[in-house]
Amino acid sequence: MTDSHTRRSLLRYGAYGAAAAALAGTAASWDRLTAADIPGRDDGSLVVATLGPAYGPAAVRTLTEGFAEQYPDIKLRINAVQAVDWSDFFAKILTQIAAGTAPDLVYVATEGVQLFAQRLGLPLDRWVRRDADELREYFADVHPSLVESMMYEGSLYQLPVEFNAADMYLNRQVLRRAGADRPPADWTRDDFTALLRRMKKSSDSHFTPYFWTNRLWGGVVPWLFANGTNLLAESKAPGGDWLWDTFYPADQRQGRGGGFRWTTPQATGARFEETYEYLASLIEEGLCTRPEGGNGQNLVGVFSTGRVGVTPAGGFWAGGLHQAGMPADRYDVQYFPRWRTQRHQFGGAGYALLRTSKRQEEAWEFIKYAARKDTLTRLFTTNQTTPARRSMLTADRYRETGPDHWRVFYDTLDRFPDTGPIPAPPQVAEVEQVLLKHTGTALSSPRAVRPALRRLQGDLEKAMERDA
Amino acid sequence: MTNTQIPPARSQSAPRPPAALVRPSARERGTRLLATVFLAPTIVGIVVFTVVPIVGSVVLSLFHWNVIDSPRFAGAANYGEVFGDSTVLVSFRNTLLFMVLAVALQLLVALVLAITVNGRMPLWLRSVFRSAFFFPLVLSAASISVVMKYLFNQDFGLVNWLLGLVGIAPVPWLTSENGAMAAVILVYVWQQFGFSFLLFVGGLNNIPKEVHEAAALDGATGLRKHLHVTLPLLSPTLLVASVVGIINALQVFEQPYVLTNGGPGDSTRTVVMVIYETAFEQLRFGTASAVGVLLFVLIMAVTALQFRLSRRFVHYQ
Repeated sequence: MTDSHTRRSLLRYGAYGAAAAALAGTAASWDRLTAADIPGRDDGSLVVATLGPAYGPAAVRTLTEGFAEQYPDIKLRINAVQAVDWSDFFAKILTQIAAGTAPDLVYVATEGVQLFAQRLGLPLDRWVRRDADELREYFADVHPSLVESMMYEGSLYQLPVEFNAADMYLNRQVLRRAGADRPPADWTRDDFTALLRRMKKSSDSHFTPYFWTNRLWGGVVPWLFANGTNLLAESKAPGGDWLWDTFYPADQRQGRGGGFRWTTPQATGARFEETYEYLASLIEEGLCTRPEGGNGQNLVGVFSTGRVGVTPAGGFWAGGLHQAGMPADRYDVQYFPRWRTQRHQFGGAGYALLRTSKRQEEAWEFIKYAARKDTLTRLFTTNQTTPARRSMLTADRYRETGPDHWRVFYDTLDRFPDTGPIPAPPQVAEVEQVLLKHTGTALSSPRAVRPALRRLQGDLEKAMERDA
Repeated sequence: MTNTQIPPARSQSAPRPPAALVRPSARERGTRLLATVFLAPTIVGIVVFTVVPIVGSVVLSLFHWNVIDSPRFAGAANYGEVFGDSTVLVSFRNTLLFMVLAVALQLLVALVLAITVNGRMPLWLRSVFRSAFFFPLVLSAASISVVMKYLFNQDFGLVNWLLGLVGIAPVPWLTSENGAMAAVILVYVWQQFGFSFLLFVGGLNNIPKEVHEAAALDGATGLRKHLHVTLPLLSPTLLVASVVGIINALQVFEQPYVLTNGGPGDSTRTVVMVIYETAFEQLRFGTASAVGVLLFVLIMAVTALQFRLSRRFVHYQ
């Protein structure tokens, strides 16, 4: 009996072992199971991932219906990914890629251009060359600085469809209260400081003249640009002549290269320190909010009710203020003030084609479709951004939303030709994170600036040494 | 008498075969099968959603992986990197500080309110308080934090506006190191104390009235009665509430992420925030997993310590 039980047990455990080995063998020899293996996931559509909050249902419908009219044979699916900012959006896209459900196209802002270009994107050069005649009209309408910001190491990775430069929004109600006029285009940093003081003097204790946010776009970076420095040493990659020679006249292609390179951190430089000391002094004097205190969510409310006088923003905010009910004549816009330079910063966006896409030709057709004037006109109806196409900025477009001096939005690029993109190397996520962290500490008091910038420099160096 | 009978002689002369070798009856096999069927979903759930991710995290912590490229074996390099990273070390310090302050405040508030609500009070009012105190727990922590961020804003927030009415200068709630930690703790405790509160209400109801009556006869009243009678009898509930509270506090994420994004500097950066940032923003999944494993070890150690200490401080009736 005992022998029989032992034999039976032996057989049973043997069977278990064989089953486990078979399972392990099958698993080992099988391709990795991914989310793409879920039935119905891959329905043959061209999948385009966009930033959800920027692409509401109406925008998705506009893109889809318009594309279906032009290309009835290409099935399109817009995947509007919900994210709080670009960094969050890129993280979610990368998670999709890891899960095996990579989209064909991703809407990528300046923050992610180099990250995607270096690791995931496909250069558009061969298609741009092939369809050069068709694209001549597009490039003639788009400022070369925007195009250059979408290049990486000599190749073009995206056709920019929108951009936003950091200009200064001014509350007219507050200007009147302070007895001040809209500043001239060539106003200086000292003019700016004097204006803030006048505003402060003429208002109650619940008023803060200057409101800003701690982020890569529109935070401390525009001030660094104005003071003739940058977070990282900036240079241009060689190459790109094929594009400039084909599409731009000689005067516009001068000094252009194959895209930007951001390398050595410069946080301990004299101008860098000077910029932070200036901002810390504004905070100490009660002329501006602390960077952590400011965020875009409550900015519309405090600006439209006259509790803030000046704030940096791009063309996108004209639509935001209009939606919040602020009449067009209650605010205006001017260039960022001059310090050592009047170089402005901007961020743009366009569609990046992923290397993993099996529908590259269809994806290219979508990229061209998305950059067409009629498409952008239908898409950007509420002035929620500045279109990359110059011809779309008309008095008619800004009649309802304002501001009066809407030309500032695009003229920033013409008037200040050295205007460039925010520094966004492939390691952008970590660079942005350490910038925000140490900016908060540095601006706690003028004395805190130098030690915090030394730590910023150290962390930036570590981040830049890391492989993206 | 039958209970004291000596077992039959057979059991002495011929020992029974081991239980494993005794063939179960058909009824027994049916019961076992049924039990297995009922337990299977739970076991599968635990294996798939708990065991596999834990093992996966440990394995991943030994690799470099950025999602895009294939993982590369790194040995203990990620752990070395973690121990040399000042941000990670600061995040552990912040998390421990947060845990101590938040859990202590949470238990204190919950206990005081539970004793108050359990006192003499109309039944309907007691129900209102119970619901009101529990309500924040069912809300989304992220949504609450967004609203609180408005309220605690230094320049435009309601809290400073109210303080201004009584002549108090604006407090840098979210923009100073101490203020930010205080704000995060307040928001967290406000949302979380409802759970401990409900546990305490249940625990208080289980204390026999006779014990309180006897204490009253002996002259114990007020605070003395609660310290020497209520608290010891409530200690098993206190243990459960503190274990759950500590485990939750060590994993805090939403409140500091939304309210301060870990700032100013690193003053409110917690371990789970570092895990999120390292993995999903910097794409260093191996390093993030190493931090996760260390947090897991910390939680296990703290919980084990609590149970060990509970032998001295917890009184079961």
